Amino acid sequence: MDVLLTDDERAVQQAAAEFLATEATPVLVRQAERAPDRMSHELWAKVAELGWLGISLPEQYGGQNLPLSYLGLVFEELGRRTAPVPMLGTMVVAQILARHGSPAQLALLEQVIKGDLILTYAVQEPDTRWSLDAVELAGRMDGEHLVLSGQKAFVDNIHTAGKCLVVFRMSDGSGLGLALIEPTLPGIDATDLITTAADAEAMLRFTDVRVPAADRVGTPGQARAIALEMMDLAAAFTTAMMVGAAGEATHRAVEYAKQRNAFGQPIGSFQAIQHMAADMTIGVDGAQLLVREAISRMGLGLPARVEVAQAKAFANEKCLMAVRMSQQIHGGIGFIAEFDQQLWYRRVAAWSLRCGTTPEHRALVAESLLDRQGPVRLGYDQSLQDDAMRAARVRS
Amino acid sequence: MDFEFTPHQKQLRSEVQAFIADHMTAALKAELKDDARGSGPEGEVFFAKIMARGWTAVSWPKEYGGQGGSPMDQFIIEEEFQRVGYKRIGGGGTGAPAILASGTEEQKRHFVPATIKGEISFSQGYSEPGCGTDLAGIQCRAIRTGDTYVINGQKIYTTSAHACTHIFLMVRTDPQSKRQAGLSILLVPIDTPGITVRPLWTIQNEPRAPTLTTYGEPRTNEVFLDNVVVPVSCLLGQEGDGWAVARRGLNLDRVGAWRYLISVMRDEDIVNWLKEDGDRNATLRADPRVRDKVAELWIEGQVARLMTMRSMSISQRGEAFSYEGAAEKVWAPEHGVRATEAISQILGPSAQLLNGSPDALDDGLFAHNLLGAFQSTVNHGSVQVMRDQVARNGLGMPRAGR
Repeated sequence: MDVLLTDDERAVQQAAAEFLATEATPVLVRQAERAPDRMSHELWAKVAELGWLGISLPEQYGGQNLPLSYLGLVFEELGRRTAPVPMLGTMVVAQILARHGSPAQLALLEQVIKGDLILTYAVQEPDTRWSLDAVELAGRMDGEHLVLSGQKAFVDNIHTAGKCLVVFRMSDGSGLGLALIEPTLPGIDATDLITTAADAEAMLRFTDVRVPAADRVGTPGQARAIALEMMDLAAAFTTAMMVGAAGEATHRAVEYAKQRNAFGQPIGSFQAIQHMAADMTIGVDGAQLLVREAISRMGLGLPARVEVAQAKAFANEKCLMAVRMSQQIHGGIGFIAEFDQQLWYRRVAAWSLRCGTTPEHRALVAESLLDRQGPVRLGYDQSLQDDAMRAARVRS
Repeated sequence: MDFEFTPHQKQLRSEVQAFIADHMTAALKAELKDDARGSGPEGEVFFAKIMARGWTAVSWPKEYGGQGGSPMDQFIIEEEFQRVGYKRIGGGGTGAPAILASGTEEQKRHFVPATIKGEISFSQGYSEPGCGTDLAGIQCRAIRTGDTYVINGQKIYTTSAHACTHIFLMVRTDPQSKRQAGLSILLVPIDTPGITVRPLWTIQNEPRAPTLTTYGEPRTNEVFLDNVVVPVSCLLGQEGDGWAVARRGLNLDRVGAWRYLISVMRDEDIVNWLKEDGDRNATLRADPRVRDKVAELWIEGQVARLMTMRSMSISQRGEAFSYEGAAEKVWAPEHGVRATEAISQILGPSAQLLNGSPDALDDGLFAHNLLGAFQSTVNHGSVQVMRDQVARNGLGMPRAGR
């Protein structure tokens, strides 16, 4: 047990931080907001060149095979600079392919690591629930093809992605399925959404879309577990970005408060401002510890669904609180478009609503606490509970 | 980053749990109900066995009676014993860690092994009627006369003064000094002539709070010092350096197993109560509002755990704290208060019933927690001053104009 970064982890984090501070400037972020693709292809190429796309992918495809926690740190840094690159979808789907892909799908990882193939995922539907129970996109087999009909919502970067991992439900009652499809297939219509993050999200309509059966991912029996794994990766990496962004917003507010004067002194000397800054720091630290634990567990192959839910539920509230308080400390200039501060607020506002809201994630935590047998104990892997521990429980 | 306990740490925890299961007798439990330090006959036997296992003062140096082990091992052992309401093994506190950090060789040899055995114990003598969190306002004076100090003044909230052997006394040795300068720490035997200890009964006294209540101490004290004469050998560290000497002790005091447990046991209590059989428990357990609130509290409790683990990680590496201890001292107590109050709202009017009342839940634990939880945001440095420290030490913000 040592929750601090190792020297190696710190080195990767610092390299990412230094590179992005230089390359992912507010100027670049603003350019991407107005670009048709809502991303910076130039930055994406540099990210690939540095090898970050393969940081936690297998060596045989050109990756570095470092533990998932390293990738988590990179996501914190990408969030810190609100870097306009399609990292989230690409890394989530690449992780799933690395673990569950067919040989042909695994071979795609080489292109991914080179930056030549952007990936995305489609889970939610217009009813907006972050839950597999809400999946209604219908799949049926027709000879050597899977035929998909229905809708998906909140799909990132669909115009730049070469492949999209889609979750559907088989009409024959056999349960959920997953397929890695090309977004340009006939019968897919995308409608772009206008988000507070000014990024690329779309609604998709599927009308009898014919997908080669070989593009399915995993066996039908595995689909539910793989889909949950994908959702957890997406929620965890989104949380890591929120932590980075909220940390930077806090830093910016503190630096601003040190030099902005009112009533004859820097506003940073006022206790009211200091205590806001302390609460922002504590909230972001809490979210960071939660998400690092969740990602670390996922990397070790330990159960982490509850840990991811804890992190996202907490970060949704505390990271948004931190960026909002940062706006407050900046006063009126904070919400002026040409001033950079609002870049962080607009993104965290969007990210806090993606990959599961606070009530949704808390419902999962409540389920794990209340709907299982036996007493609970905080910070103690439930699987480790033994008779000695039960005997040690005092309240009996 | 490594969020898993090592095989050694897991093994140690299992051993301690098995030991407790084997040796925690009904008679000892009864004794602990009145005295969490367990200084009765059953407690003495229990403590001797714990010492024989080498589970006291695990992280303290071997040459002074410790085990020379890691702070994390000590935390695990303390957590297990304190979870069953046994507090004698809490190695933290103010005395010995500060003596290890600032004492002379003679003081270390005299005090530390005896502290581990429980033969010497310290009560913290910082607060005065005119100063609490801002210790710079201390007025209790010690005037040096030859080889002695003559002490005059008053201390308050000296919680264990009636049960300790020594008082860890912060005094002003330079009468001309202001604020932190001119303060010193004296290690004063409580039976020195001129010391009067008077009880201040707390709101947990009538009726008595059950074991494991958050801040369930029935009494604290005020201590009057009237021409108390002690030898200069009682001085800890340098004369006039008391502020720094005390701070070295305080950092260790604000983190650790007990601080963590009193903040998170509330979360476990409500979940486990909801899981008990009973119509009321089942109805509340199924209520989405209750489920959402309980999950919220649980997640906050996880943050308290992780902040504690962060402090332990810093301590284990031997690194210096910047603001992390202060952050934990804001988060954990305030979480404890939020949890206590929210749990009361879930339980309804039953949660006002104190120990001994008809229909009281769990010996009135939830009601006594309502009386105790907020105390943890006051003592050992108020959460407001802790926020000042986060802002100033962690974020480099200027000294507050207030």
